[in-house]
Amino acid sequence: MKESLMDILCCPVDKHDLELTVETKDDEEIIEGELTCTECGEAYPIEDGIPNLLPPDMRDEAAA
Amino acid sequence: MDNVDSDDNSDSDNDRPSLAEQRGVDGHVYQPAEDSALLAKAAIGDMTAPGRVLEVGTGSGWVAEQVASETDARVVGSDLNPHACRQARERGVEAVRADLVAPFAADGFDAVLFNPPYLPTEPDNEWDDWMEHALSGGTDGRRLIVPFLDDVGRVLTADGAVYLLVSSLTGYEIVVDLAEEAGFETAEVAQESYPFEVLSVLRLTR
Repeated sequence: MKESLMDILCCPVDKHDLELTVETKDDEEIIEGELTCTECGEAYPIEDGIPNLLPPDMRDEAAA
Repeated sequence: MDNVDSDDNSDSDNDRPSLAEQRGVDGHVYQPAEDSALLAKAAIGDMTAPGRVLEVGTGSGWVAEQVASETDARVVGSDLNPHACRQARERGVEAVRADLVAPFAADGFDAVLFNPPYLPTEPDNEWDDWMEHALSGGTDGRRLIVPFLDDVGRVLTADGAVYLLVSSLTGYEIVVDLAEEAGFETAEVAQESYPFEVLSVLRLTR
C-alpha cells in the first residue's frame, strides 16, 4: 500500500485514525508493516503490500 | 449470472453443478462477466472528474482497473477475500482487505462502486468457500446490500455517488426502496437484458 492511503483509512471498529509502522518498503509502497488504532489500540497487519483491515472477529474466522 | 434457483431443477443437490461451474469460473476469485462490464461502463460514463473512487468487492480487480485507466481518479479496491485482494493488486489496483466500507474514512470517496453477491441461494445449497461469498446473496439475494447501504453514505463526499449493480433476481424495486430508506435518491443509469435476468446500474446520491 502507498503511504498516502492513510488519508482514507480508519479503524474498522471505532473509525478513529490509524498509526503506521513500516517494516519493509519497496520504492513508494509499504510491503510489510502494521496499522494501529490511535484510540482502541487494535493492530492490523500489512502483508505482501495489502493492509488487512478486517475487524478482529472477522479476521479470525475468515478462511485463508 | 445464471439463475440457479430455477424450479425445474430436478437434480439432487449433490448432482447440481456449483455456481462456479455453471459460470465456467474456476478457483477462488470471481472473474469479470457481463455484470462487471456493465458496471464499469455505466460508472465511467456517468462520473464527472472523480478524485477518489472505491470499488467494494473488487474481486479480480477488473472493474477498478477499467476505472483507473479511463479516468484520472485514484482507485482503491476492497474485498473480504484475500485471494481477490492479491489478484487486484497484481493488476495494479490498490487493494485493501475489508468488510464492505468499514475501514474507510468519512468523506473519502467521490464514487463507490459495488457489484454485490446477489444470487438468491437457499441455505441448504450454500457451500462455504470463497466463490460462494462472491456469488451468493443469501435467501433473498440482498445479504450484503442492506449493510452496505447502511454505511456507504459515511465514506462518500457530499456530492458523491454510489454505483450499485442490481439484478432482477435480487428484486430491483426492493433495492430501490432500500436505497431510498437509507436516504439516497436513485436513478437508473444503465440497463441490459439477459436470458435469465435484467441487470441495472443504480446511481445513488444524496
